[in-house]
Amino acid sequence: MADIIYINHQDVINFAASTVEELDAYAYEWEGEGVVHIHLHPLKHSFGDLSKVSFSRASSVSTYEGDSRFVVLVATKENIASATLFERTSDGYSEKDYVYIPSQEDLYSRNEGLLELDILSKKKVIIVGLGSFGSQIAIELAKAGVGVFSLFDFDRVELHNLSRHTCNANELGRLKTDAIEDAILGKNPYATVKKYPVNINEHLYLLEKELKNADLMICATDNNASRYNISKALVRHKKIGIFGRAITRAEGGDVFRYRPGGPCYGCLIGADFLPPEEITNVESARGDGRIPAYVSAEDANAIVQVGLSSDIQPICNLMVKISLLELSRGLNSGINSLEDDLVYDCYIWANRREKNYKEWHPFFQAGKNRTVIRWYGVNVPRNEGCAICSHNVELDVSGVGGFKPQVDDLGDVTLEL
Amino acid sequence: MIDQQRYQLEKGVLCQEHFPENAYRFVGIGTPEPYLRIAAKSNSGKVYTLHIDLKEFPEQIPEVYITKMLKDYHGNNMDHPSASLHTLSSKNGWTRICHYGTNAWTPMVSLYRIYVKCRLWIEAYEAHLATGNNLDYYLIHAH
Repeated sequence: MADIIYINHQDVINFAASTVEELDAYAYEWEGEGVVHIHLHPLKHSFGDLSKVSFSRASSVSTYEGDSRFVVLVATKENIASATLFERTSDGYSEKDYVYIPSQEDLYSRNEGLLELDILSKKKVIIVGLGSFGSQIAIELAKAGVGVFSLFDFDRVELHNLSRHTCNANELGRLKTDAIEDAILGKNPYATVKKYPVNINEHLYLLEKELKNADLMICATDNNASRYNISKALVRHKKIGIFGRAITRAEGGDVFRYRPGGPCYGCLIGADFLPPEEITNVESARGDGRIPAYVSAEDANAIVQVGLSSDIQPICNLMVKISLLELSRGLNSGINSLEDDLVYDCYIWANRREKNYKEWHPFFQAGKNRTVIRWYGVNVPRNEGCAICSHNVELDVSGVGGFKPQVDDLGDVTLEL
Repeated sequence: MIDQQRYQLEKGVLCQEHFPENAYRFVGIGTPEPYLRIAAKSNSGKVYTLHIDLKEFPEQIPEVYITKMLKDYHGNNMDHPSASLHTLSSKNGWTRICHYGTNAWTPMVSLYRIYVKCRLWIEAYEAHLATGNNLDYYLIHAH
């Protein structure tokens, strides 16, 4: 016998609005826990024991002739659909209490006053990179009621991901796009998720296509080539983008926001004040040259020293806050006051006083000095000659250490083609 | 991939730096396999042809090859990654030059600047052949 039973409210509403008299449905029970979830449609990834359910318009269970374990009698009164639940016992069907899995309308009612559901349910966010950053951000945005997602990542869940990723050991080998789609739908079953398990550097047209009607793009990749490509697309389509990364061993990190007309990621990197980023994966870093081919396997493994999940969470958290602020900008939401606070282009965070931050002051006596566990905002000057966002690109044509080779003696050479 | 605007800019820079027209050629611009062939003459007068792959330029550091397999001081092919010789894995039987580190790379870097670094590499290479000193005796490592 089931102790706690949930019925999907949206299914009851949909069944009541249909013209069918009876439909087979599905009951999933967490083994040995007495907890049952009833759905009209099979779950994509089911759990536990499955048993048969019938949704019926019959007025009494006594007229039901089937053998389902559960019978849900659906009635409509004054346009409101309601359900009565019965479970089969040795003495026939007996009525059971149940709880609704909330309908779309009710799901985020607890956010009322802060972020209204209807503000974000139509908002579309693209997330590029579903690693330890992108996975957390996707789920947080789903929890806040964001309703439309496009996910880009060609990777699968691997062992080295587990300590910082939202996915668990049961999901090893799954495409991250599939795993995070499930995680999003688990928090917001009414979200729409499009998945692109591709390398965006090789499929920029897909990114551009998705960006056309998107409200915001999260760049949570681990290399500058993709950030430059994303930045270019943001500039072209005049969309907002949030970039985040951790530096070595997640001793700190930074968040950058691109707003149309403002400095872009190319301006930021050209400004040359951010330390080198963290390398979390030997294979991908080998592929794009962050770990040069001449570095031995042993040295490469020494380079990859990832930080703790708790070290990247503050960075993800700020990315989420800025995203929600941008998505609800100009709308009536409870977080609008942040518009006066989160005004910077770039934010810098230090977790520990190591390497790049070793000169920073201890937290307890820092006063106005730079210290750890605190955000610092920076405005980045727009580079009027930026190769990503400017119409008047000024390339770096300087010599190296004062050396500029003579080339006028090349007039007599024959070029090998 | 290099777009038309960037291609015109790069061409303009080479012209501005007085490269003779016979000394370089952009090939496959607008196709998935664009590249630049450009000649480099060392101080000793030896001519090398550089092949600069523009598939992912300028978002990523372009692969640069000398269009033949060079030999090191000991007569070995320079076909493998070597920190001391500033080379990476070869392709098509060509020696690949390590010219930029990822942390130093920005899309602002011109093909001309890459050319300058490759010319320095060539000078260091010829000095290596003459003395046996590794290239990193002459060149610092970019990051």
